[in-house]
Amino acid sequence: MKKMILVSLFAIIIVLSASACSNSTKSQPTEKAAAVEKTDLILATTTSTQDSGLLDVLLPKFESEAPYNVKTIAVGTGQALEMGTRGEADVLLVHAPEAEQQIIDSRDAINRQRVMYNDFIIVGPEEDPAQIRGLPVEGAILKIASSDIPFISRGDDSGTHKKELQLWNMAGIEPASVTSYIETGQGMGSTLQIASEKNGYALTDRATFLAQRDNLNGLSIVSEGDNTLLNIYHVMQVNENKHEKINSNGAKAFVEFMTAAETQSIIAEFGQDLYGEALFFSYTE
Amino acid sequence: MTALVRLENIEVTVRDKMILSIPSLEVLKGEVLGVMGPNGAGKSTLLKTLALLDPPSQGKIYYQEEQIFNTQAPLELRRKCAVALQQSLLLDTSVYQNVAIGLKLRKNKKSEINKKVAYWLDAFNITHLAKKNAHLLSGGEAQRVNLARAMVLEPEFLLLDEPFSALDFPTKLQLLKDFKQIMSQTGTTAVFISHDLMEIKYLTHRLAILMDGEIKQLAQTAAVLESPNEAATPFIGEWKAFLQ
Amino acid sequence: MDLLLEGLKQAFNMFINGDPEIWEITLRTLKVSFTAIFISMMIGIPAGIFLGLSRFPGRRILLVLINIGMGLPPVVAGLWITILLWRSGPLGDLALLFTPTAIILAQVIVSLPIVTGLTSTAFQQLDEKLLLQIKALGATKIQFFIILMKETKLAIFAAIIAGFGRVMAEVGAAMMVGGNIRGETRILTTSIVMEVSKGNFDVALALSFILMGIAFIITFTLTFLQQRKRRI
Repeated sequence: MKKMILVSLFAIIIVLSASACSNSTKSQPTEKAAAVEKTDLILATTTSTQDSGLLDVLLPKFESEAPYNVKTIAVGTGQALEMGTRGEADVLLVHAPEAEQQIIDSRDAINRQRVMYNDFIIVGPEEDPAQIRGLPVEGAILKIASSDIPFISRGDDSGTHKKELQLWNMAGIEPASVTSYIETGQGMGSTLQIASEKNGYALTDRATFLAQRDNLNGLSIVSEGDNTLLNIYHVMQVNENKHEKINSNGAKAFVEFMTAAETQSIIAEFGQDLYGEALFFSYTE
Repeated sequence: MTALVRLENIEVTVRDKMILSIPSLEVLKGEVLGVMGPNGAGKSTLLKTLALLDPPSQGKIYYQEEQIFNTQAPLELRRKCAVALQQSLLLDTSVYQNVAIGLKLRKNKKSEINKKVAYWLDAFNITHLAKKNAHLLSGGEAQRVNLARAMVLEPEFLLLDEPFSALDFPTKLQLLKDFKQIMSQTGTTAVFISHDLMEIKYLTHRLAILMDGEIKQLAQTAAVLESPNEAATPFIGEWKAFLQ
Repeated sequence: MDLLLEGLKQAFNMFINGDPEIWEITLRTLKVSFTAIFISMMIGIPAGIFLGLSRFPGRRILLVLINIGMGLPPVVAGLWITILLWRSGPLGDLALLFTPTAIILAQVIVSLPIVTGLTSTAFQQLDEKLLLQIKALGATKIQFFIILMKETKLAIFAAIIAGFGRVMAEVGAAMMVGGNIRGETRILTTSIVMEVSKGNFDVALALSFILMGIAFIITFTLTFLQQRKRRI
């Protein structure tokens, strides 16, 4: 009896172990048997595209049309761009135009195409304790800085964080000097939750906020619509001439896919059914 | 009588220190050879050497005139020996399993193991303990298991290192009696290390006095105890004075 | 409180309705963790026995390193492995980054010191005379180790339980080297992190109940095997 338990436990372990090792290689060949060889394509992107659910709609379509298996690494824009610079990703989908320009200038990435935009918004407590509703962005930032209402920042070098720093810079304030300035070092979702808990303000992309609004007690939009708050996404492929092992065919195909008319109409419709408004807007060049 | 085991020019050194130095020693077939000596005299080292557990630094060991080289002794020779030490050192399982372990290691048939274990449990009067966990035994019970574990192997050569010393007096007497009877029935060759003159007198045929790694005297037990030589006198003399 | 109940209900629903993605993630978690602990056992137990029984120069340093390794933060292990496995890194040709194998590697690195260290402690505590006695019973080298492993069964099981706990709980390294890729390297712990960051606390809670349930069943089984009663 004792031996049986031990033996069966051991057998389970062996079987599971064996299948785990073969898992990564086996699952792909079975599907493709007749078709072309599927290759892995590493997409480094921002958390917003994954957390909003957009990629869950787009990627299966891409994978069914083209012989690529997309591995999505959802990180902050800073890390996504760094992965591009190091050649650890094949294709990037990010939203930090100024930082993107650097990686284009350094030739680490090529074929940069505009894909879509949504906009940044400033969210805060419903009762708006710093009285910023209706103010232009610069004025809103100044008001928050002079109040003692917390401002919750991503602080993670993401596209949203870079945008936020740009706003502080425009207002001529050093955020580190503001006592109620809080850096979370986490993703958009977590940062919004902290803002909700602490009754503070935060800069967020509209898509993430709409997707999570149900879980964010008392947070509402207090500032929106300013031209400086546009959040533009670009897709680009990592330069195969500068880095080894880049799946540049896959990257090129993905860039083409993202800018194709059909994909663009999916993007424009995405979120309408769930949130009553679109999360992203088609915006090709 | 012929020798079962013969040591020739044996030396054991540990970090340049001489632990044991024996020019010649024979353990005769069928005898019980007693070994006495003060602590640190090298008794346990002698036992390890005789039991073929640790090869000596130098010298030759003959087991039934077959020479064992200075390396690890072959398994089939080691398996002709059995050892019982002062601590019973039983394994964390039933008494039955503890006694059966040596036979299991030798891959004996199950039916044979059952028969032999039953016989030796009975011989040491511990049949009623067979299913008990060995770590829950009293000292006397544990030593009986320890000895049964050695005897069940029906060894050609039995090595005992003070197996009775930790027992209370009545238990010791009873076990000595049982053990002597078993030894005379089986005619097993044995080396018996002890500090206890009574045990030595009772069980052994010949007696070796080991001091500072050397054998100072070796003769019939009675003769050594009656007339220890010059080297052995301090040790044996103290014992005798104490007993008188 | 409502959230907890809601999470429990959702965990139940996910399992009853057989949400394929949950099943897939759960099965992958099991595969990865079992493989990791299996490898750690295969290496760690013999290594622990060796360290426990033998004496050689440098042994103490090795034991110190293993003890430090027991507290190695998983994210540190994850970072080192990431750098090793980068396309531009020394092992880049193996293309292992963002695969289940990379997660297994990270989990082995964090659990191996625990299995090795606890096993070696158990063997260091063995009476040297017992070793002599077992050899004197006529044991071959292999039989010798089998008997000793039975003697130290309690401690070895404890080592496996502790190692397994580490592996199941680990998230930082799995996130970093696995990338939490849907359908490939997403395991229960990384899913929980992701669902929390998405604000889906109910799903995260449901997943946490599944993880706890698995951990409970496995630890219970191991503890049961460890504590099988002594015969009276």
